[in-house]
Amino acid sequence: MYTGGLWLISLILPDPHLPYRKELIKKRDFLYLGALLLLPLIFPNPHFYYVMVLAGIYAVLSVGLSLFLGYAGQISLGHAAFFGIGAYTTAILTTQYGVTSVGAFGMAAAAATAAAYLIGKPILKLKGYFLALATLGFGEIFLVMVREARGLTGGVSGIFGVPWFSAAGFTFDTSLKQYYLVWGVLIGLVLFAKNLVRSKMGRALLAVAASEDAAASVGINVARVKLGVFVISAAFAGLAGSLFAGVMSTASPDAFGLGLSVLIVMMVIIGGMGTLYGPIFAAIFLTWLMDVLGGYQEYSLPLFGVVFILLLIFFPDGVGTRLNARLIYLISYWGRKRRRERVDR
Amino acid sequence: MTPWVYIPQLLATGITMGAIYALVALGFVTIVRASQILNFAQGEFVMLGGVLTFFFITGAGFSYPVAALVAVISVVIIGFLLHLLVVYPLRKASALIVLMATLGASIVLSNTSALLFGTLPKTLPSFSGEQPLEIGGVLIAPQSLWVLGATFFLLLVLHLLARRTLLGKAMEASSTDPLGADLAGISRNLMVFFAFGVSAGMGSIAGVLVTPLFYTSYSAGTLLGLKGFIAAVLGGWGKNSGAILGGFALGIVESLSVAFIPAGYKDGVAFVILLLILYFRPKGILGSPFIDSRRW
Amino acid sequence: MSLLVLDTISKSYDGVRALNRVSLTVRAGTIKGLIGPNGAGKTTLFHLISGMESPSSGTISFRGVDITGKAPHEIAALGVGRTFQTIQTWGNMTVVENILAGMHTRIRGNFLSCGFWLPWIHKGEKGALQEAKRILEFLGLLGRWKWSASQLSFGQQKMLELGRALAMRPKLLLLDEPAAGLTPAEVKKLSEKVCQLRDQGITILVVEHHLGMVMDVADDIAVLHNGELIADDTPEAVKKNPRVIEAYLTIAGG
Repeated sequence: MYTGGLWLISLILPDPHLPYRKELIKKRDFLYLGALLLLPLIFPNPHFYYVMVLAGIYAVLSVGLSLFLGYAGQISLGHAAFFGIGAYTTAILTTQYGVTSVGAFGMAAAAATAAAYLIGKPILKLKGYFLALATLGFGEIFLVMVREARGLTGGVSGIFGVPWFSAAGFTFDTSLKQYYLVWGVLIGLVLFAKNLVRSKMGRALLAVAASEDAAASVGINVARVKLGVFVISAAFAGLAGSLFAGVMSTASPDAFGLGLSVLIVMMVIIGGMGTLYGPIFAAIFLTWLMDVLGGYQEYSLPLFGVVFILLLIFFPDGVGTRLNARLIYLISYWGRKRRRERVDR
Repeated sequence: MTPWVYIPQLLATGITMGAIYALVALGFVTIVRASQILNFAQGEFVMLGGVLTFFFITGAGFSYPVAALVAVISVVIIGFLLHLLVVYPLRKASALIVLMATLGASIVLSNTSALLFGTLPKTLPSFSGEQPLEIGGVLIAPQSLWVLGATFFLLLVLHLLARRTLLGKAMEASSTDPLGADLAGISRNLMVFFAFGVSAGMGSIAGVLVTPLFYTSYSAGTLLGLKGFIAAVLGGWGKNSGAILGGFALGIVESLSVAFIPAGYKDGVAFVILLLILYFRPKGILGSPFIDSRRW
Repeated sequence: MSLLVLDTISKSYDGVRALNRVSLTVRAGTIKGLIGPNGAGKTTLFHLISGMESPSSGTISFRGVDITGKAPHEIAALGVGRTFQTIQTWGNMTVVENILAGMHTRIRGNFLSCGFWLPWIHKGEKGALQEAKRILEFLGLLGRWKWSASQLSFGQQKMLELGRALAMRPKLLLLDEPAAGLTPAEVKKLSEKVCQLRDQGITILVVEHHLGMVMDVADDIAVLHNGELIADDTPEAVKKNPRVIEAYLTIAGG
């Protein structure tokens, strides 16, 4: 019974990447899916839906970044800019040019992809903290440009009145509908990411993270791999931005700054580098944490920072991987103990 | 009305800001030379220098010089604590983790400052009065001269520290050849510890100097830190002379840019310079002992 | 026929001459040893051949194609595999994944086709897995195929690096001090494997300090000293070469 309980808990935590990744959908994925579908029924209040919608959007962001940071091991402190590009593209296209939500959705991804391609080519030659700062620089330049181009982007106040996201005649105008929209999109994107990770490109990402020289020695074009994963993670961010605009009905510069970039990086690191589900759980956890602490903002931010530093010191591989490994050990220990007792009798 | 008319005045402002950037850049370089760590919280040292001085004057009733002195000492202690509590425990972790940790520290420091001292911008009285001096047709605030003077004084002190004192020589040794220094009995961790203290000291003094000219507030540190880093890269990453050159260069270019482009874009100039430098000459103007041209 | 030809290769770093007009060839289907005291320039030569550095002057051609100054991944794609002096296995992946990643250029697929798991991706993965297991069996690592690569012992990781290089089906294999840090038993096993690879048609260039191993496996040996080639002959002749003996006995003057 006790072991069963521990097993159940271990299902909920993200999987460490050690075992060979062959299946696309594992048994525990159905558990997650079921939980996702049932959650709105267990907590039927609009505030819950709203926070989960936001968490879902951040989850899309963090899954995208986890490919670049968690798997390929490259640092980006400017991903909020791609988020912003997606949001602004959607906002401008839908409010000023009457483009449909779905069309704007696609264009948002395209815009973010194009920006990432242009920026990525020169920037990705850099390593370590230089790359971190170059991406940060790009993020800041994006903000400056957005604030200044008032005609296009509404300057500091941003764009209002972005229509609700709608597709095939169905409008997602309530938090509940938006919940299923956002998490539905996330599931689709996660499937794509999972496929990528268990294929040769996933191995290439990990190879580049562990040893670029060795990767080149087997014929992996390191520059092309880095650019590819950068672009893909930017596309994810752009899609997240499009959803954000379609859900919040606005796009304004405050939401797309360094703070958000750092937050997403935190989600990936805390969730676990080299996992996809870890950042999703971290996104949910951190979004709820921010919501709970929202009233006490002045206390929450420094506290956030302190907790983050402590997590880095004690869980450098991410909370998810360490906890899960420990649980697996515990479970196997109990299993062995029970078997021994049974034999003794 | 040509923009060229403004050049001399902008030049004066640029040189003043350049001195500040140079000090911040030196703070970065000092720590990087000792430990290869990029201290994201460097800008916060500057901010705290100004904010704490303000607090000690208004909240604790100290006189201006005493408040400034206590503030600088406090920031140096904070620098030491930063090393002990954040950097030292992570001495074996990957560079990314340490980077994120200093970023976390930066967030803690800036937001705690907002918490304790409020979010309103603060200013301090100029050292020797507000009346601008006129030199060669250009108006210069007396505080600017203090900034320049103090900067050169600090540079001299640093130079003497490095060349004449045992501690300074030990730090130089540790940064040039860590293994050799280690074998000679110089503890690397201790050198990094002191490097954090020195950087914090320089940063906080810069903060006290610049607050009378430009307001300071809890969020000022982040941008200033970034610009200081950009200055260090511009001049030649890892070299003290590079930090100084880069600081002045960045200050002047940034200031002059206002004559030619809308003022709102001014902050973006530094970042454009960063991207240009990283792309075309990552070594910086004077070259860098750290960047291996082969792999770049 | 000559698989690899180095023609008057020189390499200087900021005025320090690491290699001085070195010319050598490696015949197809043979094992060539490259020995010399520390600092003689052996690893530099490897870096030049594998593309990690460019020579200051001279040319390198592989199978008749000029590869001087090409990028490492291009040279690898042409059929040159290598192992590293310091172990560079990918510890963040499992043993079998290290081999599979080595097969990167031989499996079809790019970011988009992999993300959408198009039908040929699946087939490619299955075939690759079978071949990877065969390689692991050849090296004696099959039992640990699901282990994390970081859990292997030092000697096993060296074998894994060899397997990863083999996964490329290389025509030329560059082995950088493969015997360093191995026990005598492991060295013997390594020598056997290397000879087996030669018999399967792979040409091998080995940099090695373990003179016993080199004398055993090599068909001919080149000797570097202070960046210059001082001998290039059969093992027997090299053993007796007075210049070689002098180079090894004199302390390298730096």
